[in-house]
Amino acid sequence: MTSSLSPARQQAADSAAPAITASSLTKRYGDFTAVDGIDFTVARGESFGLLGPNGAGKSTTMRMIAAVSERTGGELLVAGLDPERHGPEVRARLGVVPQQDNLDEELSVRENIIMYGRYFGLPRRYLVSKAEELLEFAQLSHKARARVEDLSGGMKRRLTIARALVNEPQVLLLDEPTTGLDPQARHVLWDRLFRLKESGTTLVLTTHHMDEAEQLCDRLIVVDQGAIMAEGSPRGLIAEHSTREVLELRFGMDRNAEIARELTALLDAPEVAGMIGFSHIEVLPDRLLVYAGQAEAAMERLHASGHKPLTSLVRRSSLEDVFLRLTGRSLVD
Amino acid sequence: MTGSPAADKDVLARRVRRWGALYQAEATLRSMRAYGGVVLFSSTFQPIVYILAMGLGLGVLIGAETDFSAYGADSYLMYIAPAILASTVAMTAGTEFTFPVMEGFKWRRKYYGAQATALSPQQIALGHILGVCCRFAVHALIFIGVLFAFGVLASPLAVLMVFSAVLGGLAMGLPIMAYISTLRDEKGHAALIQRFIIMPLFLFSGTFYPLTNLPGFLQVVGWISPIWHANELGRVLAFGQPGPPWMVAVHLGYLAGVAFLAWLVVRRVFIRRLGYEEWPGRVPGLKSDLRRQAKQDAKDADEARAEAGRVAGAQMTGAAPRANAPATGSGVGAGLPPVTFRTGVASSYYSGNIRAVFARGLAAIRNNRGVIFLSGFLEPVLFLTSFGLGVSPMISGIEAEQAGLAGQDTISYAAFIAPALLAVSAMNGAVFDSTWNVFFKLKITKLYQTMMSTSLGPVDVAVGEICLALFRGGIYALGFLGVLLGAGLVGPASAVLMWFTALFIALGFACIGMAATSFMKRFQQMDWMMMVLIPMFLFSATLFPIDVYPAGVQWVIQALPLWHGVELMRDIAFWQFSGLTLVHLGYYLAMIVAGGALAAYRMKRLFLR
Repeated sequence: MTSSLSPARQQAADSAAPAITASSLTKRYGDFTAVDGIDFTVARGESFGLLGPNGAGKSTTMRMIAAVSERTGGELLVAGLDPERHGPEVRARLGVVPQQDNLDEELSVRENIIMYGRYFGLPRRYLVSKAEELLEFAQLSHKARARVEDLSGGMKRRLTIARALVNEPQVLLLDEPTTGLDPQARHVLWDRLFRLKESGTTLVLTTHHMDEAEQLCDRLIVVDQGAIMAEGSPRGLIAEHSTREVLELRFGMDRNAEIARELTALLDAPEVAGMIGFSHIEVLPDRLLVYAGQAEAAMERLHASGHKPLTSLVRRSSLEDVFLRLTGRSLVD
Repeated sequence: MTGSPAADKDVLARRVRRWGALYQAEATLRSMRAYGGVVLFSSTFQPIVYILAMGLGLGVLIGAETDFSAYGADSYLMYIAPAILASTVAMTAGTEFTFPVMEGFKWRRKYYGAQATALSPQQIALGHILGVCCRFAVHALIFIGVLFAFGVLASPLAVLMVFSAVLGGLAMGLPIMAYISTLRDEKGHAALIQRFIIMPLFLFSGTFYPLTNLPGFLQVVGWISPIWHANELGRVLAFGQPGPPWMVAVHLGYLAGVAFLAWLVVRRVFIRRLGYEEWPGRVPGLKSDLRRQAKQDAKDADEARAEAGRVAGAQMTGAAPRANAPATGSGVGAGLPPVTFRTGVASSYYSGNIRAVFARGLAAIRNNRGVIFLSGFLEPVLFLTSFGLGVSPMISGIEAEQAGLAGQDTISYAAFIAPALLAVSAMNGAVFDSTWNVFFKLKITKLYQTMMSTSLGPVDVAVGEICLALFRGGIYALGFLGVLLGAGLVGPASAVLMWFTALFIALGFACIGMAATSFMKRFQQMDWMMMVLIPMFLFSATLFPIDVYPAGVQWVIQALPLWHGVELMRDIAFWQFSGLTLVHLGYYLAMIVAGGALAAYRMKRLFLR
């Protein structure tokens, strides 16, 4: 009853095919459409991001790729294989890091890795040394015997990632890898993921943190309400959908819209528009975002005209601005 | 903001200092509402079930030979009714002072939410206790109402049993709360307390018979047991059980004393944990963990050495060296052994790796303490001891014919109930493993979600879990049968056959349990299911022959699975087989096939949600 894949399929699965191909991929729960006919391709060795707010359909897409959720429509190939027809083969090629760490609290740190490998049918002898290697990679060697519950949040996250690497996956799926971690723990984690990327593992990650997407993704799609809003490299998306710089201004409550109108007239005037590179102003409840190629110049113009914001900040455009431009909403509610 | 009730902080602080415990009690009661239906139903249902099963069923047997007028009661039912009230309240204490306390400190950290408000640690503790007291009182009032309706209470003083029962519940529950609240983590402690403390204190508390029926050393357990003191108080109140007045004072003093001392400890522990000291609690089993890990380290070192030797050998013969980089990730790397896959229609369901699921279960059992695992067989032994020794003096035995067996002999009461208890223990274990345990891993620990993201299929997981349940059940049955053999209640040939039968019965219940779990959405539904098991245990001809009931009731009982299990065990124990034996076997076969098929059909629903 058991057999290896046929040589032809083995080849399809291991070399030629892209890591993931999705076309018109759809998932509906009753009346609710979580994923609405999206298309994307992830090349091997690429680091690919799904960016979007909570409820955009990122996790649902991830679950379909991970061969644990049935799609309602469309096509999906992972390593050239249909996850619904070849569930075990697909899962054997994947490493999955779910949004919530679901480590086995009844086992020690080390046993978590070994037992997870056993679920893939890997021999224990191989796993004993593999576990050492992965614990070192995750900087957890000193915690090998510890209980899972004694680990910090960052350590648990690293253990979940180490565990997902036990089968040397071709594709690593990371659902919100650093949500809920402190900045230092995030940087440690990013460093580890960067190494994986360098070693050739395909990374697919969802995030609603722009800085994370900018750090880790070669290419990403911006998803909102189950549909793709834009696709490209982080830098390319910013160039396409935003200005080089942003001026953030706070004027105190309740006056934002009114001031925005005044400022638009001021900055959009023909005599200064070219120098400032003014594009538009976004009005947020607590602040104004002035999109301009030269934010400092816009700032000077403001002061010259007698406007005195409570605080002001000049910064580079980020993916957050891209998302705001595309959807009219901010990413983190 | 004037006018806001939150405006004057000093008034708030004063109010909380005065009434804080009541606010916490309100929170405790409100969180009980989640299973309020179960609470009310069980309070009504439990007395009725006990009255019908024990009072009327067992009462037919006992009443024929034993007179309870010396104790002031008209009937067996009247004699046990107040004791059942006190016992059920005290047993409830075992749940209300264990899991909710762990929930407060660890699982949901509710107490830490309260700690951040103006409440003091001792108010949090007292509030929890008051909330639970309300539950006890409601339970007791409904119970008393039902008993009045059945006309088994002679005196209006019986209403005062609310107080004696609540006091008994506190004397039972507060020491448990004191212990549980010192724990940083619960590793089966509640189960241990249930099996080693609550069950013995309940079974040897003179609930179903006068304590004096037991041999002296077991009577001591009764004197210690708060349940016995609460029982005796209840009997005095319900039908004026005669006895020296100072005994009433002893009962009251004992219960109040235990409850008060335990309260002092509870208070101290809560102040330590929720006060400025911020004591995180004891790590249970820390020393034994360290010992075990040292042993495991040594074993791993050996394995690593052996592996290093192999690699070195491979390099000598010119084979490629193992990739040393962490997680090469370059597809099927040099170090990754080949993995084979099953093909065909079932391959998405079954990967042929049940072993791994079973091994994970064994590892988890090993990491938990062995005593928890082994204690499972204790329950039937305790039941057998209590009923065998306590009830036997009141009846001269069961007529063979009455027990559905050929011949004119009389069977000792212990020999009559022993096979039934084995069947019950097989049922309980299998149902618990296939419902609660599965649901817990599905919903709380998300273990199955993890397993499903690997090559494993749902069938691997389901079969692996059933194998684990049978493994555990097999060991428990072995222990119990050892006791029966030692006591001369069964022969060796019967014992061997009964062991296999116990597994067979367990398999039947496990299949049905799995299938039922696939329909479950919330934990409360689990509680309802447990409520089916208690009456099934009490009615299925376990503790008395089925012929005490009218024909109509007999048919209902004969339709239930446990009755067939009990009868099957008896057929084997007394080595008397008939056509009915085949019917019993067939019934379980049908359960296994139907339950297994339904579970398989709903397999994805069960694990992939």
